[in-house]
Amino acid sequence: MTNMNDVVSQPGFGTSPHASGVDLGQVPAKMTVRDLNFYYNEFHALKNIAMDVPEKKVTAIIGPSGCGKSTLLRIFNRIYAIYPGLRAQGEIVLDGENILDPKYSMNRLRSKVGMVFQKPVPFPMTIFENVAYGIRHHEKLSRQKMEERVEQALRGAALWDEVKDKLRQSALGLSGGQQQRLCIARGIALKPEVLLLDEPTSALDPIATSRIEQLVEELKKDFTIVIVTHNMQQAARCSDMTAFMYMGELIEFDRTEKIFTKPDKKQTEDYITGRFG
Amino acid sequence: MHATASNVVSAEQSAEAARNAKDSRNDVLFGWILKACALLVLLALVGAAASTLWLGQDAFRTFGWGFLTSATWDPSNDQYGALVPVMGTVGTAMIALVVAVPISFGIALFLTEIAPQWLRGPVSSAIELLAGIPSIIYGMWGLFIFAPFVAEHIKPWLMNNFSADPPDGKVSLLVVKLPWIAKFFSSEYAFFGAGVLTAGLVLAVMIIPFISSVMREVFQTVPTRLKESAYALGSSTWEVVWDIVVPYTRTAVIGGVFLGLGRALGETMAVAFVLGNTFKFSWSFLETGSSIASTIANQFGEAQGLQKSALMALAFLLFVVTFIVLLIARLMLRRMATKEGR
Amino acid sequence: MSSALYTSRRVKNVLAMIFSVIATGIGLLFLAWILWETLSQGISALKPQLFTKITAYREEGGLANAMVGSLILNTLGILIATPIGVAAGTWLAEYSRRSRLGPTIRFLNDILLSAPSIVLGLFVYTIVVLPSKYLTDGAVTFSGVAGGIALALIALPVIVRTTDEMLRLVPGTLREAALSLGVPQWKLTLQILVRSARSGIVTGVLLALARISGETAPLLFTAFGNNFMTFNPLDKMPSLPQIIYEYTKDPSPDINVLAWAGAFVLTMFVLALSLIARFVFSRSKVSHD
Repeated sequence: MTNMNDVVSQPGFGTSPHASGVDLGQVPAKMTVRDLNFYYNEFHALKNIAMDVPEKKVTAIIGPSGCGKSTLLRIFNRIYAIYPGLRAQGEIVLDGENILDPKYSMNRLRSKVGMVFQKPVPFPMTIFENVAYGIRHHEKLSRQKMEERVEQALRGAALWDEVKDKLRQSALGLSGGQQQRLCIARGIALKPEVLLLDEPTSALDPIATSRIEQLVEELKKDFTIVIVTHNMQQAARCSDMTAFMYMGELIEFDRTEKIFTKPDKKQTEDYITGRFG
Repeated sequence: MHATASNVVSAEQSAEAARNAKDSRNDVLFGWILKACALLVLLALVGAAASTLWLGQDAFRTFGWGFLTSATWDPSNDQYGALVPVMGTVGTAMIALVVAVPISFGIALFLTEIAPQWLRGPVSSAIELLAGIPSIIYGMWGLFIFAPFVAEHIKPWLMNNFSADPPDGKVSLLVVKLPWIAKFFSSEYAFFGAGVLTAGLVLAVMIIPFISSVMREVFQTVPTRLKESAYALGSSTWEVVWDIVVPYTRTAVIGGVFLGLGRALGETMAVAFVLGNTFKFSWSFLETGSSIASTIANQFGEAQGLQKSALMALAFLLFVVTFIVLLIARLMLRRMATKEGR
Repeated sequence: MSSALYTSRRVKNVLAMIFSVIATGIGLLFLAWILWETLSQGISALKPQLFTKITAYREEGGLANAMVGSLILNTLGILIATPIGVAAGTWLAEYSRRSRLGPTIRFLNDILLSAPSIVLGLFVYTIVVLPSKYLTDGAVTFSGVAGGIALALIALPVIVRTTDEMLRLVPGTLREAALSLGVPQWKLTLQILVRSARSGIVTGVLLALARISGETAPLLFTAFGNNFMTFNPLDKMPSLPQIIYEYTKDPSPDINVLAWAGAFVLTMFVLALSLIARFVFSRSKVSHD
């Protein structure tokens, strides 16, 4: 329990007994982060992070570059573990189990938590195979079932109408925006519960960006979404909750509306109003 | 109902656990297979050194250190010393470097600073084509075309000017004043094209593409702002190259030179025909000789007993020397790469 | 004063330019000279029987057995070196991150790349030819298999290096994307990474093939040579470079002519291969973006 005191004494955590300092009302937490510390070799990159990610809502993480927002996201599915010298301490509880526990199975985690990256990364395969590839590793499906699943995923990512006639063509031929929606389709095809989006629109033009933002709005009916963005308008437009991070610390975490209108912390206000960052 | 539901869940979980175990087992197995293949690279190098040392141990034992210093290579009396082939190997490689380094530098300079943009691609492809020609072709060309050319045009001129026994009968003033020079330019068979010089020149042509392509590549890594600021001070192209580009790339350039040296030392076929394959010790560039690689190529097929062991011992020497030269080359090239932040 | 300085600087510059142009001219001159001799001497020696008759007939014969032998030896070499080389290169690029062995092997591979091929030939002589001689009571000594292994040792570092380099060009996000779907590392490696680096790896294999096609020294004491046609990899096996070597040393000018014909065929083959490799590589660059 000593750690709890540390957390509470961090800036950003007021008097509320709730570690994140936020009253989520009726919404249950899908994922609960406690005492999370992260290290790049000796560098202490994340310091005592604690937050509750509400279920079937969009949670945005904002902050200046280097603040640790992508790092935090990459702990949620332990993708950081493929690089040497990185380690996370603390706990992230997803549906009652700590995903940072080494015994927590990677397959289980990766099928429950999907991720979409900054740049679209289609695999060097056909459009159909791109979506089917991940499914095949987790489930054995008949041909027909697989086709249904792929169609469902592509529809879910609002891509079906554009690609239904060229499913057998290489995914490398799609436009950037289409490729990114394909990556979202690939992610949701596994039917994850949480979807992590790491600056998903930073490589896209404004029209493709607004399509992805609409899609995020749609997807939150089925998924718990965490989106990292450097674009404050984007966070304001499409998130329910916003976390502001600075220098590896979670400064403030609250309803988006509140963060953008009357934040509690001066640092948050300065960042929102563009005075630094 | 509850019981069945939890049964389903636990069945699902155990299936998942099994799949996890299988995945991680396969991953580990796959990793080991790949690693074993990578270790074969190590094995090839260690094996080459160990096997030649093993089969060469008879010669090393029989002749001891004398193997390195003796100039006798006499299969009929079973006496073997490495000095002549070692000198031939080193001598030809040195001539090759002396000729190839400045030419390669000129080519790299041309391709990075002087040639118009449209010409750079075709010329560098052409130079690289030289590296693609099989070494046996160099050997043939050396024997049938280049050695006669040397005998007719290069050697007589050198002998007339520098030897004590010139074909035109007039000993040059230089040789009269500095008679020791003649030692390097004597030739038993004045009209014979094969010899250390010819072999060195053929090697030079062979290693030019290697050295020049390394130089060209590292010259291109010099930051443009560095060159531009020199040009802005009014420097000429030559001054930029000599004062900025060369100091900046010095280690890598030396690395490239050593790379070429490594190639030249180990080359067999290009020199096998044009060296003459004689085992008489001489200081002269114009005399015939032999190299380690050409001696092995020519004699190993028929060699027996101690001769075979002596050839293996020669191979071991060659391998160790080229290994050291290439080690230096790669270390210097790597230092440059680290500096570049690559 | 300063005008004298300017003049001397300008003169130096012009001299350097002239030297550089002359150096390039010398390089190109030798290329042209060698190619010209190979072409002119080779083409005039070309005749149909080169491709139909074997070397046992000497002046009256051709090079058919040598070409077939080269084909078999090169195929063996590539078949052995490709899987091992791709696997080793993949290990270097994908798996060696956590070990100190990785950089060491990468470094030694670069040395193996320029190691004297005749010593590698002697190594294979020691580990393949000698044991097979003892094990079969002299029935199998020099063989196509031994030659293939020797060529594989020369092809190996070329393939290792290109595979390693090409895989390291594959963006890291592709790995993360696949891993975040729960795909295991081995599947990711084989089905996604090697596939996206495919054309680069093919280039490496083609370059390795071009390199070994011209190799003579490592074959002398492994495949040895044979004046008859053989398809049996346990036989002594001839090859084009080895026959060229023998025929060049031969005192008879008629045999020398056959060596030129062989040199022509070999050079064309090797240069065509490097052109194809270049073409594949340039296409791979386009499809990457």
